[in-house]
Amino acid sequence: MEEKKKSPYNLWQNTAFMLAQAWKTYPSVIFLCIALAVVTAAQTVAELLIAPMVLQKVEDSAPLKELLLTIAGFSLALLVLSGLKRYLDTNTLFGRVGVRVGLVRQIGMKISRTSYPNLMDTRFHDLENKAADACSGNTEATEYIWTTWTVILTNVLGFIAYMAMLSGLHPLLLCVIIATTAVGYFVNKRINEWGYRHREEESEYIKEMWYIRETATGRSHAKDIRIFGLAGWVNDVWYKSLRLYQAFIRKRESIYIWTNVIDLLLSLLRNGIAYAYLLWLTLTSGMSASEFLLYFTAASGFTQWVTGILEMFTQLHKQSLDISIVRELLEYPEPFRFEEGEPLPKDLPIPCEIRLEDVSYRYPKAEEDTLRHIDLTVRPGEKLAIVGLNGAGKTTLVRLVCGFLDPTQGRVLLNGEDIRRYNRREYYKLFSAVFQEFSVLEASVAQNVAQRVDGIDQERVRRCLEQAGLSEKAESLPKGLQTPIGRQVFEDGVELSGGQTQRLMLARALYKDGPILVLDEPTAALDPIAESDIYQKYSGMTQGKTSLFISHRLASTRFCDRILFLENGQITEEGTHGQLLAQGGGYAKLFEVQSRYYKEGGEKNGE
Amino acid sequence: MENEKTKLTYRQSWKMNLRAWKIWWKLCPGVFYSTLVFSIVKASTPYVTIFLSAQIINELAENRRPEELTKWVILTLFCAAGCALLQGIFSRWANYEKAFASQMDSQIYMKKMLSLDYADIDRQAVFDLYSQIKQNAQWTGWGVHRTLSYFEELVMAVVQIMGGIGLSVSLFLLKVPQNSSLAFMNHPLCVVGIMGLMLLIAVVSPICNNQGNQYWISYASEAKQVNRSFSFYANICKDRKRAADLRMYQQQENVCNIYFSRIEHSTIAKNAKGPMGLWNALSQCITAVLTGVVYAFVCVKAWAGAFGVGSVTQYVGAITQLFQGLSKLLETMGGMRANGEFLQTSFQFLDIPNRMYQGSLTTEKRSDRNYEVEFRDVSFRYPDTDQWVLHHVNIKFRVGSRLAVVGMNGSGKTTFIKLLCRLYDPTEGEILLNGINIRKYRYDEYIRIFSVVFQDFKLLALPLGENVAGSAEYDREQVKKCLAYAGFTQRLETLPKGLDTYLYKDLKEEGVDISGGEAQKIAIARALYKDAPFIILDEPTAALDPMAEAEIYSRFNEIVTDKTAIYISHRLSSCKFCDEIAVFHEGQIVQKGTHEELVADTAGKYYELWSAQAQYYTK
Repeated sequence: MEEKKKSPYNLWQNTAFMLAQAWKTYPSVIFLCIALAVVTAAQTVAELLIAPMVLQKVEDSAPLKELLLTIAGFSLALLVLSGLKRYLDTNTLFGRVGVRVGLVRQIGMKISRTSYPNLMDTRFHDLENKAADACSGNTEATEYIWTTWTVILTNVLGFIAYMAMLSGLHPLLLCVIIATTAVGYFVNKRINEWGYRHREEESEYIKEMWYIRETATGRSHAKDIRIFGLAGWVNDVWYKSLRLYQAFIRKRESIYIWTNVIDLLLSLLRNGIAYAYLLWLTLTSGMSASEFLLYFTAASGFTQWVTGILEMFTQLHKQSLDISIVRELLEYPEPFRFEEGEPLPKDLPIPCEIRLEDVSYRYPKAEEDTLRHIDLTVRPGEKLAIVGLNGAGKTTLVRLVCGFLDPTQGRVLLNGEDIRRYNRREYYKLFSAVFQEFSVLEASVAQNVAQRVDGIDQERVRRCLEQAGLSEKAESLPKGLQTPIGRQVFEDGVELSGGQTQRLMLARALYKDGPILVLDEPTAALDPIAESDIYQKYSGMTQGKTSLFISHRLASTRFCDRILFLENGQITEEGTHGQLLAQGGGYAKLFEVQSRYYKEGGEKNGE
Repeated sequence: MENEKTKLTYRQSWKMNLRAWKIWWKLCPGVFYSTLVFSIVKASTPYVTIFLSAQIINELAENRRPEELTKWVILTLFCAAGCALLQGIFSRWANYEKAFASQMDSQIYMKKMLSLDYADIDRQAVFDLYSQIKQNAQWTGWGVHRTLSYFEELVMAVVQIMGGIGLSVSLFLLKVPQNSSLAFMNHPLCVVGIMGLMLLIAVVSPICNNQGNQYWISYASEAKQVNRSFSFYANICKDRKRAADLRMYQQQENVCNIYFSRIEHSTIAKNAKGPMGLWNALSQCITAVLTGVVYAFVCVKAWAGAFGVGSVTQYVGAITQLFQGLSKLLETMGGMRANGEFLQTSFQFLDIPNRMYQGSLTTEKRSDRNYEVEFRDVSFRYPDTDQWVLHHVNIKFRVGSRLAVVGMNGSGKTTFIKLLCRLYDPTEGEILLNGINIRKYRYDEYIRIFSVVFQDFKLLALPLGENVAGSAEYDREQVKKCLAYAGFTQRLETLPKGLDTYLYKDLKEEGVDISGGEAQKIAIARALYKDAPFIILDEPTAALDPMAEAEIYSRFNEIVTDKTAIYISHRLSSCKFCDEIAVFHEGQIVQKGTHEELVADTAGKYYELWSAQAQYYTK
């Protein structure tokens, strides 16, 4: 459990924030709330009045015409009000969804563009999940707050109207109604908090069952489940969670039943007092039956307005906390400079030089540095390889070069200038990169290569696919380059194999044509012939560019101008392939292991 | 899956609802009992209040006897309290049963998926069908689960209608005094006419409403596309694996936002301002007209002296409830009809047959592990495709030998293993176990002799020990031994709860994240724990660096002892120690032999593959 942090914004500030959001995009949302509240309150009042008013005419034996006119009048009022209400109701949804989606979009922009180190920040991560939850559906804070406010307005209007109607009665009656209602509300709230206090227990069971369901019904586990006969186990785990969940619900409902008991006791008390008082009034002062009916119905209705106001403010308070979280995320401080940084020089010499000057890096909360005192210059137009075992720090080095991380110590320089002064997003534009993990979009092949939706140079896309060795496959797809990839969004999408995806990513890097090329182990999923094919192409791709190639497979690095051998966060050896082998150090040893099986007539069976 | 939009008849959809109810009845009958009593109490409670307060008003309007009034007031108060108590108790019971049922919903699909033929699971059409069912349920609530709420609504509507009739029959029977100018109201035709009019209005209102809702239904397919798009594009920013690319290629700005803005312009919003909103409003207006007619009829009769003032409130209340019940009934029926289409999708999935023939032979447990498997002229193509993935494959496994299967991506290696494990049946030819076609064995018996570490093996986010054993109860010592064989002991010692440590953080905060290499070791331990005579490794070292790769290979050879081992790889380094290497090319076994024999054939495929890889290492 985290400590109760005071929310930076209160309920009114958050309401103002949402109003501003709506005002910018869908101002109708605000007007609809007000209109709906007025109409709803008016309709309720009309519904309350119709029975007693009509009854009065019957009781007084008023002329038939008068009776019928009264009925017609009320019916007309109801007709207009209920029709209007329904019409407004039908129309509220869309603007509200629009405002919420606007926030989802802002959140998306923030997360996908925030300074990379923020992504490793647990607080940021936490805010990210909670903010997404707060925008995830029609009943979440960022949308439901409109309903909450509509109901509050309705209740306040109703409260005032009923108060006016009941003003002829003894004020003590109103006090009794308000008091019993408030007591009921607060006691029930206390009881209902049980669910809130135990929400984690509940969500744990649900999460477990959901996970098992996804596992059992998904395709990715199907083979293992069959070969190892895991169905029994999977079901056991599911049923175990179900039993716990059932016990939980049983307990919860047996506690919640007290809210029903308290409600009925309090309404017994309240109605008893109201009946007694009104009967006394009727019998002593000769109040008519229709007046009795009016007052009694109004008294019960009054309870609902009071409850409504109390409930809605509690709800508003909770929603306000959620909205605070969204705002906190959107306003999360950025350690990097973006728009406020300097633009890259217009006459930036290309190819560029990148220099790491005494760079050390330690991950947040780590015990020791991942990289230590790295001095490294990637000369303009050079083909540089960085090799090393898993965990040597290769990926961290790439992140520093690409400007995803800032060094804990030392500087990263672009043509001699510290990259921290520049607008980081402009710096990113310099890179054509293929990382180990990539983001394939559920969009067409061409859009994936060009990384834009409109204004695609189709000819260039074709050329890049050709260069990456994917054009044959791409042309054979049902809609050619316009075929969507993935089936999450498009039902007619295609799934590419690992090797094909890697080629697609290569084509994408080519299309971008940045002056610096970074390839972080791009061949892991390829077979030997394809791998060798890519390496051949690699040489051609690096013309006129500064390039960085990262691998744990030494085989791939030989055509580079220079190879750095990274070990335990330090560059221990550097030189060409031949030089490194001759040194007989770590590189040579690793090469020996990898090539053992390939040497003609090499020793049998490894060790 | 084609969206054939043939609207179902009430009869068809009713049948499907019955079938869905039958499924529920078997899974959780309690949900029917509890909602039945709850709905009855809930629907009849208003009538108790209507009836009793009418008595109070009547007394007030006429005699005003204090003792009578007190009697009725006390009766009203306590009956209302009694009803509230019953309703409270039953609603809690129903809540409990409903929470249970909404989880059991998963069981319907889990059971089916777990028993489907693998070939069907692998089929895109089946996958799409299931996704459709899931999306229908999640995004719009349509499907099998919704039939439970229909049950509740139906019971409620029926009780409401019956109660309304019960309390308002006398309205039509009580007569206006004969001498009144309104005596014509006693005429049966007039009574029937009024009833007919009310009924007509009551029916027209839901029709208008359905007219309006029609826009939602016809929006459904667009909505589905919008939801699919939204759930992808709103979430990619959170995927850390995408973080680098998102920044380097400005994906959010250039692609995601564009798709997003397409989402925002939906046609339904326009319809809501126009026809849809108007139809809905009209349906409410008509209801208001009905209220007016009811009041007019009741009050005029009372005015003419047919009954007292109190009865007016009773009749108005009862008739209003009655017609509300009626429109609820119509609405529910409309909903059931609309849901029929979605039920059809669900049943289409649940009715997928198990086509794979299952024999009854058992594989005798042989302590000598003397099993012999032979592919005899096996050809295969995936269902619904016309491309042969395997052509006339002939191969025999020698017991206790080490076989390597090599070839380029897409040469049929993995398919070969799928056939061996009978995840698929051959299209032509046959596979024999000890001379008998494997179809003649019981599948669970047959699969017992294979252990496979697939390239895309999966572990579950459950305790380590259970993962290795594949069950909740297991032999701890044996699991530890297998983990030791797989080289996991060192890591095991660092785990906070040993074998009971949860893998990954999906379910438990304190779960441990394991690297690809570690996961592989666990998967190998799982394969060993099964202790099957055949052990198959499908490209097991893709995630490992050369040091780890060398370690795994040398160790594995030791572990498998007298078992028959099959290695699949595109990295030829793993083949050298095998007794036999089968080279796959375009679905055929083009070469067979030891490494030395194959590499000597410089015209062969093996030599070509070998050279492509070896060129970087020689010299």
